[in-house]
Amino acid sequence: MAHVEHHHHGHHITPISVLIRTFIILVGLMVLTIVAAKAPYWFASLEPYRGLWVVTNAIALGIATIKAVFVVSEFMGVKYATNLIKVYAIGGFVWFFLLFIMFVDYASRPWEPVKGWENVPSSAFPRNKDNDAGTPFPQYPGEAKHGKDGH
Amino acid sequence: MAAHATTHPTNPDESEVYFQYEDIDQQQETYIVGMWTFIVQEIMFFGPLFLIYTLFRWKFQGGFYTYSQKLDYVLGGVNTMVLLFSSFTMALAVHYAQKKQTKEQLRCLGITLACGFGFLIIKAFEYADKFTHSLFPNNSFIWPPHGYEYLGGNPEHARLFFSLYFATTGLHGLHVVVGMICIASLMILTVRKAPTITDYVPTEIVGLYWHFVDLVWIFLYPLYYLIPK
Amino acid sequence: MSATTVIEQSPPTERPEKNYLNADHTLRSWIWTVDHKRIAVLYLISVTFMFFLGSIAAAVVRFELTSPWGQMLTSETYNKMFTAHGVIMVFFFIIPAIPAVLGNFLLPIMLGARDLAFPRINLLSWYLYVAGAALVLASLALGGIDAGWTFYTPLSSLYSNTQITLALVGIFLAGFSSILTGVNFIATTHKMRAPGLTWFKMPLFVWAHYATAIIMILGTPVVAMTLVLVIFERAFKFGIFSPELGGDPVLFQHLFWFYSHPAVYIMILPGMGVISELISCFSRRRVFGYEFVAFSSIAIAVIGFVVWGHHMFLSSQSVLQGILFSLLTFLVAIPSAIKIFNWTMTMYKGSVWFSTPMIYALGFMGLFVIGGLTGLHLGSLATDVHLTGTYFIVAHFHFVMVGGAIMAFLGGLHFWWPKMFGKMYSEFWGRLSAMVIFLGFNFTFFPQFMVGYLGMPRRYHFYYFAPEWQIYHILSSAGATILGIGFLMPAFYLTASLIKGPKASSNPWGAKGLEWEQTTSPPPTENFHHKPIVMDDPYDYDAIADNDDFRAHWGKEPVKYGGDN
Repeated sequence: MAHVEHHHHGHHITPISVLIRTFIILVGLMVLTIVAAKAPYWFASLEPYRGLWVVTNAIALGIATIKAVFVVSEFMGVKYATNLIKVYAIGGFVWFFLLFIMFVDYASRPWEPVKGWENVPSSAFPRNKDNDAGTPFPQYPGEAKHGKDGH
Repeated sequence: MAAHATTHPTNPDESEVYFQYEDIDQQQETYIVGMWTFIVQEIMFFGPLFLIYTLFRWKFQGGFYTYSQKLDYVLGGVNTMVLLFSSFTMALAVHYAQKKQTKEQLRCLGITLACGFGFLIIKAFEYADKFTHSLFPNNSFIWPPHGYEYLGGNPEHARLFFSLYFATTGLHGLHVVVGMICIASLMILTVRKAPTITDYVPTEIVGLYWHFVDLVWIFLYPLYYLIPK
Repeated sequence: MSATTVIEQSPPTERPEKNYLNADHTLRSWIWTVDHKRIAVLYLISVTFMFFLGSIAAAVVRFELTSPWGQMLTSETYNKMFTAHGVIMVFFFIIPAIPAVLGNFLLPIMLGARDLAFPRINLLSWYLYVAGAALVLASLALGGIDAGWTFYTPLSSLYSNTQITLALVGIFLAGFSSILTGVNFIATTHKMRAPGLTWFKMPLFVWAHYATAIIMILGTPVVAMTLVLVIFERAFKFGIFSPELGGDPVLFQHLFWFYSHPAVYIMILPGMGVISELISCFSRRRVFGYEFVAFSSIAIAVIGFVVWGHHMFLSSQSVLQGILFSLLTFLVAIPSAIKIFNWTMTMYKGSVWFSTPMIYALGFMGLFVIGGLTGLHLGSLATDVHLTGTYFIVAHFHFVMVGGAIMAFLGGLHFWWPKMFGKMYSEFWGRLSAMVIFLGFNFTFFPQFMVGYLGMPRRYHFYYFAPEWQIYHILSSAGATILGIGFLMPAFYLTASLIKGPKASSNPWGAKGLEWEQTTSPPPTENFHHKPIVMDDPYDYDAIADNDDFRAHWGKEPVKYGGDN
């Protein structure tokens, strides 16, 4: 009796007050995310916080995730839905993160588990963040300026 | 042969039950499950864009800050606001559809549709700005853009950033257009009192799609417009 | 319910006049149909047509390789030929073959539903398939595509001057056809089951299709987006996958194989579902360890998503990632082995009946074991360095795809043919074709293991540097001829059965399952004359007492065989 199990008359109707509350929270979070990202550039006194991109990213993505949770649970009604819907809704987002397994590849390219490989250029695609902001041309592996690597 | 709908005598909502279903409950639940399965598919569809973005942002953090300075975070913020509001009115539309207050439902759908238009118009201004500065990643792409002195960064990574920007926002914009077509069709069918639309589930399904479009933008906005140095 | 109540509930042996085939005869009633059974027939016609085209390309490839010097074709034409073969066979034959033909036809009937959850979306997915196929064929007609079915960048995105964009759009459409099929199957399995049909009473065919549908909705969109980005790169010079433009070509391979490795499970899982039905029916035994076989389908679907990197051991992927993927690849062998062992245990002490579908099923098991075990050679890092990019890998995936998926498709087609069309085919020709295909297949692909191990690279159309390999290629091409004859045979005798085959009873094999016991052959448009209620466990074959008597009379007197003998 697949469908008769959930035989409930009168589906859940989310009250308008809850919708308005959710909307206000979402707007608040949006303002917060802009302020968190831009305030160090607006006010000279906050200048020390400009370089903290890890922290700022974490804040921005954290706020975006909270917003997403509100949209999914209240507006899309997952909070009031059947378990099946919950499984699919959560599973979809979880599955997306399987793609990130490929970061094992990109993150471990400079690292080789066998001794004696150090002299081989470690990666075709090294992480080299400081060549990017300033210089107009990319720095390729094997070229000069490998000061830090030293070999 | 065709999916002739037959009116079910015990159906409390008096909307039509298609021949493959036993009753209205089964039909409604199946629609919702089907739509959620489709949304899972949409999450995976946008997945590679966010993955590629994460990869190159991680590689070229400093450069991505420089390139994102050419995006207008105020216009982006206004668009976020527009989409959040449209999501809210969409949720209201579902609420009124469940209560069978058709007039209010149509009004909410109309506002949602207008917000969709507004979003696209603002987006069009942003795109036009990129095109005039040859920041669209085709053969005439230039970095630093027209009218600017040396900005830092390098042309290849700038092309990468704007490729991702146009691919992500472009496909998101396409989803907005599809969502608007769905909302418009839903409004027309509701006005005509089409027998397939008397129940709230079609509104709910269109709503799920629209909220998903909003969801993509919620992540897209901080990732492209608010990159820290 | 016991067997007797089934017979009481069964429709009379005299078939009612109306069934889904003769309900309406106009062309319009076929091309606008929303009946899942008619859509399955439309798919059957389309995939058979594409299979025929793909086979022609394969024949040209095999003919070219009989000579070490590559005399018949230029390199460019040869590239276009193997690309045409790969693209057509992978995206337009194997992926849709079992789910869209047998799955479409049987899933609702096995679930006791009147149709799939979304019949019009089902029709839309057929139209998307046709549009995709048309675009790919147009790209072939307008000059062909030469990037291989994998479309590796930057060849596909920057350097190739062939009709890649058109073909990619076609594959994108076919991908959405597959996604919509997956959405339909999932919603149907969850919400359309007949009263009493709990998850563990579902046939394993349904379990396998549910797992397939999961892969379809989770994997296909990823490759769809990747192909869109390649199209953008060709059209505008977006720079995501091409190093000249700032991108990373290995990223394309990651994203491509994130779908395309699970896609090989889209190809093989439905086949495994078919084999579970066949082995159980023709051994007259319950499937051994039903729950294990059911969950192994889900396990294959899930683990199949985290093994993609074994296609990229030599693509500058890092060593750590290689080790990780090699380990995970070995994990996926476990659920596959569970299936093979459980089928073997099902046959053990069973009353095995070597009918046409059963011979196909046994062929599947033998070939799939070889294909699967050679997969372990390729999944372990060190041997893969030697074997990758050779004919060993070509032989390996043909053992799994042709020896596995196509044998299962043909076995299933022969098993359900009486149900689909209400006609019996010639059992003699059926068994002969199964054996000819098995023989021809081994002749074609076993020599490729050997020549691949010796070092023959794939996608080369000459091997003048090692002319002693010619004998393997000639064996392979000769085998391909036998295989081709084997594939042509069903085309003739199955078509002939439609015209002058004896009428099939509602249950010619004495099989269990809603599609055999509760409806006619062919079924009526609404699938059942009454809503079925399921009380039995699946594969309740021990109840059939007069098995020997049934088989002694089977096929000798056409009037006698039937569901109620």
